Amino acid sequence: MKNKKIKEFLLFALFVFPAVIFVLFATDIPFVMNLYYSVFDWNGVGREMTFVGLDNFVKIFTNDSLFWKGVKFTLKFAVFYVIIVNAISLVVALVMSKEKKSSSVGRAFYYIPYIISLTAISLIWKFIFGPGFEALYNITGWEFFNWSWVGTPKLAFWVVVIMAVWQNVGFYMVNYIAGIIAVPKELIEAAKIDGANAFQVFRKITVPLIMPAVSICMLTSLTFAFKLFDIIMVFTKGGPANSTVSVAYNIYKEAFVNSKYGLATAKSLVFVVFVLIVTAIQLKVTKSKEVEA
Amino acid sequence: MAKKTLAILLSAVMATSMMTACGGSDTKSDEGTTDNTATEDTATEDTATEDAADEGTSSGEEVVLKVFDAHAYGLDEYAEMVEAFEKDHPGVKIEVQHAANDSATLLQSRVNSGDIPDVFDVESGTSAKKYYEYAYDWTDDTDVTSLFNEDALETGRDDDGKIKSLPWTYENMGILYNRDCFDKAGITELPTTMDELEEACKKFEAAGITAFAMPAKETWVLGQLATHFMMDKSLDATGTVEAIKSGELTFENMPNWNNLFRMLDLAIEYGPDKPLEIDWETSENMLANGEAAMIHMGDWCQSTLDSFNPDANIGFLPCPVGDSADDCTLLSNCNWTYIVNKDSENLDLAKEYLTYILTSDMGQYWMCEGVGAVPGVKTDKEVQGKLANDAKTYIAEGKTNGWIHTIAPTGYGDTCGPYLQAYMTGDMSAEEVTQCFQEFWSAG
Amino acid sequence: MSKILKKIKKINPLAVIVFICSIFWLMPLILIFINSFKPYNDMLQHFLALPKSWSLDMYIETWTKFNFPMLIKNTLLYTVCTVLMIVLLAPMAAYKLARTKSKMSGICFVLIIMPMMVPFQSYMITLTRLVANVNLTGTKMGQILVSIGLCMPLAVYMIHGFVKNVPLELEECACIDGASKIRTYFSIVLPLLKPILTTVVVLDTLATWNDIITNQLIVGGNARAMNIQNALYMQFSAQTADWEHALPGIVMSMIPSLIFFVAMQKHIVGGVTAGAVKG
Repeated sequence: MKNKKIKEFLLFALFVFPAVIFVLFATDIPFVMNLYYSVFDWNGVGREMTFVGLDNFVKIFTNDSLFWKGVKFTLKFAVFYVIIVNAISLVVALVMSKEKKSSSVGRAFYYIPYIISLTAISLIWKFIFGPGFEALYNITGWEFFNWSWVGTPKLAFWVVVIMAVWQNVGFYMVNYIAGIIAVPKELIEAAKIDGANAFQVFRKITVPLIMPAVSICMLTSLTFAFKLFDIIMVFTKGGPANSTVSVAYNIYKEAFVNSKYGLATAKSLVFVVFVLIVTAIQLKVTKSKEVEA
Repeated sequence: MAKKTLAILLSAVMATSMMTACGGSDTKSDEGTTDNTATEDTATEDTATEDAADEGTSSGEEVVLKVFDAHAYGLDEYAEMVEAFEKDHPGVKIEVQHAANDSATLLQSRVNSGDIPDVFDVESGTSAKKYYEYAYDWTDDTDVTSLFNEDALETGRDDDGKIKSLPWTYENMGILYNRDCFDKAGITELPTTMDELEEACKKFEAAGITAFAMPAKETWVLGQLATHFMMDKSLDATGTVEAIKSGELTFENMPNWNNLFRMLDLAIEYGPDKPLEIDWETSENMLANGEAAMIHMGDWCQSTLDSFNPDANIGFLPCPVGDSADDCTLLSNCNWTYIVNKDSENLDLAKEYLTYILTSDMGQYWMCEGVGAVPGVKTDKEVQGKLANDAKTYIAEGKTNGWIHTIAPTGYGDTCGPYLQAYMTGDMSAEEVTQCFQEFWSAG
Repeated sequence: MSKILKKIKKINPLAVIVFICSIFWLMPLILIFINSFKPYNDMLQHFLALPKSWSLDMYIETWTKFNFPMLIKNTLLYTVCTVLMIVLLAPMAAYKLARTKSKMSGICFVLIIMPMMVPFQSYMITLTRLVANVNLTGTKMGQILVSIGLCMPLAVYMIHGFVKNVPLELEECACIDGASKIRTYFSIVLPLLKPILTTVVVLDTLATWNDIITNQLIVGGNARAMNIQNALYMQFSAQTADWEHALPGIVMSMIPSLIFFVAMQKHIVGGVTAGAVKG
């Protein structure tokens, strides 16, 4: 009996531990090591650190309006991003999941932004919102194209959402396609014979069966939204007037520009705890949906 | 089937790990001395570093000098210079990391991981001071320090007056203007007061030229612009910063401070339709192509301007800040400064290299022609940059002052720039912005 | 006539919209391509216009200036090694984690997917310190190990979600046949995972191919170990941008990944049908 347990453990170790070791090395251990600094006042460079106890945390909760502005921005972004990106990529996936030449081309089109390096993407968008919109305004005369999208705090939020959605649709599309294709064709045929229309088929058959894909996409889009950094870094730079500062960007600036490394690690700890709570709730919700299905 | 899959996977993994092992061995390990291309003679390894400095590389060891360079100006000339140095020093390999946008981040992580470059550069002032505990003290090397201009050396002194870093080039900032645009609008006298500036803007508008293309998307530019209006000429930059920090000088009491908002108002009224979308690239492009008459920048953008339009007729306009021509400011500083790691295993070589790039003929060629700026070292070389030459006349007349933003509290541009953006979008009033500036400076 | 009408009626309006919109996603590729032939000033002045000439000079200059053959070799090495290790290790871990219900399993799963929630920026300094402690700074090995670790969480998470839906009976009957557990995994489970593995491969290949930040942090100044994107990115600083070389470089670096995606997507769609055992 004992022998069997050991054997089982060894098998488990053989399968799981290599992956765990890599993750421990590249992220878990550095992250935990990092937490040590959260109780120090340290500029991130020098050899000297001053122990300050929980001062950094106190500061976060009492006197750091930019961090909370970042939290608000990130949450708002997460809500809109998760909904929009999943809706669009699901629709695209439904159309593109057919095994046709045209869909194969279409899939590649939607995937392209995901392939291009971000420096080039920021260049492209600068020109779309600049000369591109100007040209469209001259053609259509719609005031919409004449707004200063990147230069107005309220609109800049949508700039970030649009860019993020545009860039990542391809990724979620691929996931949804994998899910949709796995839905047995016979089931759909049978339903159609029974007189179900396209929407009913989608609602009653496709949706329940692609729930696993949905929960993967939900979680990955949620974590992407919480970690939002790259687009801010290369494109809006948090502006105008700090209107697009995300939490990750705020942490980064605190550590590397303001030289308050200890405060920055304290912030990341606070934020990770917060994200874990939200993700746990989200997982519970989708799990229950999956079971229902 | 199963065995086949397994076999393929395993052999693939083996193959790749072998590839990486080979790949890894031609790169240098962290120790700084081990060299794997000649692993046979390990016995001489320890002595090799000292020898290398005197070019006594009898063992055939390759010494690698790690250099971190925070900008991407004159890269071709830089490469030529490195090549020449390597040629003079057989067995020495210079490994340069040109660190793009996030130089501060990368340097910080390299220093933290113990992989401190032997020679690196940082912005002088507040950022450089963070690194001074790692810096070699040049104070006693008078044969080297005497080569530099005294005021340039000042930027590399720590609080005790020790010379911890060596200056690169002078950089000047103020308003850049396109002479052709001024001619076209019929402006013959350069504006020196706020009123004259507004007059000029009106003339530009009449001539159909955008007066200002302020790169308001860049918070660092706005931060720099604001420093013109803080300057107390009787105290110069250091004195002004000290006075603000100590509370002697408050933003409310600065004689010219409110003109900053007038300047921003002008930049909005006589600027492009979407002022906050203008980044440095767009603003420099508009200036070089004569679409805009004025921007706020410095002579570091010379090479970019040249690549846009080599014939552009661009000069420096000291920034009008008040009612008198005497108040106009052109700010000048050696704002990049080079540090030698005092714990470097190749300290002598590192010192030699730094002296070489900052003072030798090759180094001066890089700075004067490649970058087009006036070097901090005393030189008789002709400087390529038109802007730098233009600034020279002001420097000679003693009309320039030092930079405030580099010796301001850490994070000045990133913190205060957004406040000015908020003013431009109408989200904050001038009083609120002033209040925020005051709070930031008092806290720092 | 009525036949054509019928055909038109059959066309799904939704599909039409989706196809028209796809142009919006394709556009950056076109814009990057046409602008890669323009001098810097033209690019800023007439971004939407066609280039004056289609000269390949800048492409050739970029190729030699950046030593592209070496960059491609490095980038390929990183990508191949990372993806191979992910393909080997991630499904093993994901499969076992999904099938084992124990405390240990729960802890390991959390350890693996936790990094998905943590912004990279918040621990990158300690990561470089850790890499330095094991003497891997500036080495290709260090770059590969870190990039495997960074790609692992998402890969395991995605495969884990998929494994849950593979019916247990299949493995059980294999066990009764006397096949060892390891063999069961390689002969029965792994082939079933092909669709999701394809997705993971595509994902991680592109992530490693386009990586900038880990290359900067881990490999740092070692020019011989640099990858394509990092080498191109080095030409930019706060006040200079070498688009004339960057855009041709970006186009050249994209070609392999684009070909790769087109080749792989057949398997994403086709592979799933083969693996669909559920019905």
